[in-house]
Amino acid sequence: MKYALLIYENEAFYGTEKAGPKIEEIVGKHMAFAGELGPKRIGGAGLKSTAATTTVRTAGNRKTVHDGPFAEAREQLGGFYLIDVANLDEAIEVAKKVPILQDGAIEIRPLLGQ
Amino acid sequence: MNGVALERVFRAASGRIIAALAARFRDLARAEDAFSESCLRAVRTWPAAGVPDDPAAWLYRVAERVVLDSIRRDRKQQPVTEEASLDPSPEELLLNDACILPDERLRLIFICCHPAVATEARAALTLKLVCGLSVTEIARAFLLQEATLAQRLVRAKRKIADAGVPFELPSPEAWPERLDAVLSTLEIAYARAHEDAAGSGAHAGFAAEVLHLTKILTHLIPDDAAVAALAAQVRYAEARRPARLDAEGFLVPLSAQDPALWRRDLIDDANRLLADAIRIAPSEPRTLQAQLQQVWCARHSLADPAPWLEVLRVYDRLLLTRDDPIVRINRAVAVAEIEGPDAALVELSRLDLPGLEEFLPYHAVRADLLRRAGSLTEAATAYARALQLDPPAAERRWLERKLAELPRSEN
Repeated sequence: MKYALLIYENEAFYGTEKAGPKIEEIVGKHMAFAGELGPKRIGGAGLKSTAATTTVRTAGNRKTVHDGPFAEAREQLGGFYLIDVANLDEAIEVAKKVPILQDGAIEIRPLLGQ
Repeated sequence: MNGVALERVFRAASGRIIAALAARFRDLARAEDAFSESCLRAVRTWPAAGVPDDPAAWLYRVAERVVLDSIRRDRKQQPVTEEASLDPSPEELLLNDACILPDERLRLIFICCHPAVATEARAALTLKLVCGLSVTEIARAFLLQEATLAQRLVRAKRKIADAGVPFELPSPEAWPERLDAVLSTLEIAYARAHEDAAGSGAHAGFAAEVLHLTKILTHLIPDDAAVAALAAQVRYAEARRPARLDAEGFLVPLSAQDPALWRRDLIDDANRLLADAIRIAPSEPRTLQAQLQQVWCARHSLADPAPWLEVLRVYDRLLLTRDDPIVRINRAVAVAEIEGPDAALVELSRLDLPGLEEFLPYHAVRADLLRRAGSLTEAATAYARALQLDPPAAERRWLERKLAELPRSEN
């Protein structure tokens, strides 16, 4: 089954530019982890901060463009993996190993159409 | 075979059949639907054709065919992308011919109790799928509206399918985290089975199954106090079943039960399991709960004094780790024996639980304490309230008798 692992952390931890030693550390860990996952990893990316985010909202027939993420929260989506594994237990095992430098959460979402 | 007898056969077979089908086809909803369909077919054909020698095997084979047909139908509507392997393998055919129905219930329990399933749905789902209880019965045990419970069950089953909960037993390192939900579920399942004191009610069949499942767990997970303690607990309770009713079918309180009627083989078995639990974790709540049972089961005749003081001491230790209304209600019963009914009523009046008004044990215990304290009008009201809450047959008769025996004049 294919799952998206959505990584939620407080992005303030990394600074608005998402640059510097903490980002270097976490990116290094993600690179190593992606290597470990091998063919189980079918996609994924790290995301720039919500300061760089633009949202297109649809309400009725109107589409409007806004600055910032669709919802303000204490923790923000900071990156994701797409994985292909046997079942939820294996997805949970992978999610537990996703590198994270502070408190946060990994949301496991099965992909539609399978 | 009449409707009640058929119902009993279906219930006894349901857990094993749904578990076996779910394990084989990896589809809980399909397994459940197919079992319902095979029961319907049994209702239609058995009265004329006769009940088969092995009704469970019959039901399994029919349900299996129903699943295979439904999968074939689904496949026809979609282009076939992979080689379908719907036909049973030669090994499976052999198994079928030998009428072997694999026991996959433990696997099914672990699926129902997966942490990805909402906590409040796990026990209900297990009781429904593994023990074959009806939504009505489960709703009553959980103090829930039927519609609420039904919706919860549908949501849980959809989650299991959509999220990809595996149909394999969890790996041993995942057991601790998965275990507590499983134990709570078995505990509730046994409580329901035990509730019908005569053992003749619809739940009688699965009391033995719960005992069996708890034993299997002690083999799978030998070094866990909670597992051993639960296995002990259900055995103590089951050992006393022969003494729970008097000759007229009235419920006999634990303190008045004749220990000579208790099953010593089960008590010995339970003592061994409890000794393990105490060695591993003496303060674990389940260990203490089993100890409460042990204290009573150490009695060999009614001439031995009732162990109320020891009971109270164990409850005090239990409250340190598990302070809940059920423990407090039961502790109040011991308090009444040592300090009198008034002290116990004070304890009960301090309880704070949403749904207490609908909680049968609360009203039954309170009614008895009020009667002993001499508040007869209030006692009558409390007995009546308990009777409104649809108690199981033996308890109903006991409550009715207590109510009828109340002196008519007020104190």
